[in-house]
Amino acid sequence: MKEPIATAAPMPHHATPSGDLYPDAVRLERVREAHRALYTERETITADGNAAAALATLQMWRCVLYAGFPITPSTKWMETVAAHIAKQVGGKKRVKLMEAEHAVADYLVGAAAACRDLVFPTATSSVGLDHMTETTRSLGASGLGNVLLIDVYRATANFPLCIEGDPSDTLAHRDDGFIQIACRGKQQIYDTVLQAPCLGMHHDVLTPTMPGYYGIKDSHRNARLIVEPDAEVHAFQDRWIQPCPLPGLVNGDTAFGTCVTSRHFQGFKVSQKRRMERVLHWLPQIGADFERQFGRPGLAFFDTTGFPDDGAVDLAIVTMGPDFGTFEAMREQYAAKSGLRVAGVAMRLLTPFPRDAVRKRLERAKAVVVVNQAHHHGRGHLTLDVADALADLAVMPRIISVFAGLGGADVSQATWERMLDHGRAALGGTTVPPWAIFHEGRQL
Amino acid sequence: MSGYKDIALRESSFRPGSTLCPGCMESIALQNVGRVSDNGRKTIFSIGTSCAEVSSLAFPNVVAWGRGDASPDDFAKSFSIIHNVFESAPTLAEAARDVSDILADHGAIDRPIQVIAASGDGGALAIGLRSLLHTIYRQSRITMVVLVNEIFANTGFQYSPATTPFAETSTTPVGEAQAGNPRLPLDYIHLCIAAGAGMVAQVSPAHGKLFVKTIEKALACDTTAVVFVPAPCISGWKFDDGETVHLAELGAQCGAYPAFVWERGKGGAVKDCAREADDRPRLEEFLGLQRRFHHLVQKDPASGQFVARPGREPDVERMRSWTQSNVERLFRLAELP
Repeated sequence: MKEPIATAAPMPHHATPSGDLYPDAVRLERVREAHRALYTERETITADGNAAAALATLQMWRCVLYAGFPITPSTKWMETVAAHIAKQVGGKKRVKLMEAEHAVADYLVGAAAACRDLVFPTATSSVGLDHMTETTRSLGASGLGNVLLIDVYRATANFPLCIEGDPSDTLAHRDDGFIQIACRGKQQIYDTVLQAPCLGMHHDVLTPTMPGYYGIKDSHRNARLIVEPDAEVHAFQDRWIQPCPLPGLVNGDTAFGTCVTSRHFQGFKVSQKRRMERVLHWLPQIGADFERQFGRPGLAFFDTTGFPDDGAVDLAIVTMGPDFGTFEAMREQYAAKSGLRVAGVAMRLLTPFPRDAVRKRLERAKAVVVVNQAHHHGRGHLTLDVADALADLAVMPRIISVFAGLGGADVSQATWERMLDHGRAALGGTTVPPWAIFHEGRQL
Repeated sequence: MSGYKDIALRESSFRPGSTLCPGCMESIALQNVGRVSDNGRKTIFSIGTSCAEVSSLAFPNVVAWGRGDASPDDFAKSFSIIHNVFESAPTLAEAARDVSDILADHGAIDRPIQVIAASGDGGALAIGLRSLLHTIYRQSRITMVVLVNEIFANTGFQYSPATTPFAETSTTPVGEAQAGNPRLPLDYIHLCIAAGAGMVAQVSPAHGKLFVKTIEKALACDTTAVVFVPAPCISGWKFDDGETVHLAELGAQCGAYPAFVWERGKGGAVKDCAREADDRPRLEEFLGLQRRFHHLVQKDPASGQFVARPGREPDVERMRSWTQSNVERLFRLAELP
């Protein structure tokens, strides 16, 4: 590589709250021009979830450096990226193989801080995400919305080790400070990864994103995927991603990661919370713009099925992930058999939890069955959030907490029926335990 | 190579305002590194959690880093710094290096950028050894400065893998059952050479010209350059005010941490430290200046020299033996091509 030349020519600059910014120091248009399109027109391909996520990052001109470390079930994301980059003779994108997940997280800090206008992606899972924790929490507070950490869900802990996907990893990291968005299905994975930096890098938000999808169920199973031409992807992202108003290490005089007293720590945390709350404002707008451009639903707080216009239902289930599809398929049949109005919510935005939208959606449900798919010491991460969202209602729906699909087990139709029966019993006045675990049509 | 006077007259990016202890070698080293790096290139500096970090990058205290008094028009004086966790300095620097290089490769930047990382020995050799060795292994073009005060000073002077044998630390206390640190230090110089560093050195500002020349060479290195800076810690080593530079020099001369510079392909040399023990200052004089070794030596009222305490002669001899092996080790490493 040719070393740039030292020169004393003045460089335009202006002051920011974080130090001087030199807008001309990095000519981003050069990076954009060097991008080689992966797709020049819309195509329908077959891909698994990891490939869908990888293709989305490869299509972004702002992604030029891919750091990673293998861990099941996210590994194929890295392999897919590496395979495409290896094929591009003269291409300028680079893969960076690190020695551990923790190093990946540190590397993301350094890279994202170096140039705040590029997107730095990686993918990990389970204990890999745990291993990153020391630094993901720095990242969450950093203002580096250009970090894109794809979490391929897998049960955490190695006693016992389970390589299949339940979202206990992402749910254990609710306080890391990332915007966490759950996906189900390859198309939603691809579309979400394309939209995530638009949200994270929005000047009101500046918060890293953690899109995620279920390991094995979605990461390793193939399905049809519509991929958009790179030019369209760029047009969409460029509408939303403007040059960062704050200096990075390369284009500024600035300091990251100072040591502060508790008094000043408060201010940082207030700012972090406010930025996170602004996600609730911008996410639907980005999603709507995506839908206008590509004709598919964009980012949303949640997906729903079965709600009438007035929202009044007997039983509403709240869950996340691809097993919601089984519920969608059997819902009408169960409703007809039971004589109940049954509807469902599949959460997409986990952090920040869209309290107001969830409350509005569920306020006319008589009972809400929250299906948690990750281990929790109490009633479940999702249950706590739903309960918080509904707490202010004058008449609060009965909340029934269940667990199913732990360790990535399929939630079968029989299991859904049994859980709905459980909710129905509670609705009818039967006392149910604070939580119950279901599997293969039985309460364990 | 620049002249010593030229470097001495430059501005340093390590500015007034740090809360490092008066007499701390780290501040002297960082001031010098700051001056050497004032060379027409923009500087990106990463720093792991350490005394040097918490004492210089604190808010609302003065952040003791920056471009100095130069006009912000001058991008060559631009300075950025980043801190993350203890072990992160080499990885952060490597990332900044890669981004700078990839931007240059795109033609997106046209001014040179140099990247420097700093850690303590706890950050680099204990919790961060993996990070350091892998950054070296990946041949990242950064300069890594490891400030070796032989303890986790920032957390209260606990043992580190660089602690000298028999040294009293807060986790290797002196008692009837144990005479301070029972372990030999990690051979970190050899580890860095073996991992593939382009340059490895051990030198403190007590050897002023050699120090700045070494940092300048390190900044010009095509791969990872690692400079270990012996950093007498006035609070942890417990020595008298005003002895910092003297102690740094004496420790190097008596073989505790000889000055050493090695470059891949060129070999190296031990500087200002004789191979034969008889030609070096007495080890007891080095030990005697520090209260962390006062269980081993005491001043002889008759001669005025420090001598082994009664009953501690075998420990002092073991210490002497370790020092000799330390010197021999570095002379052998210097012969590596």
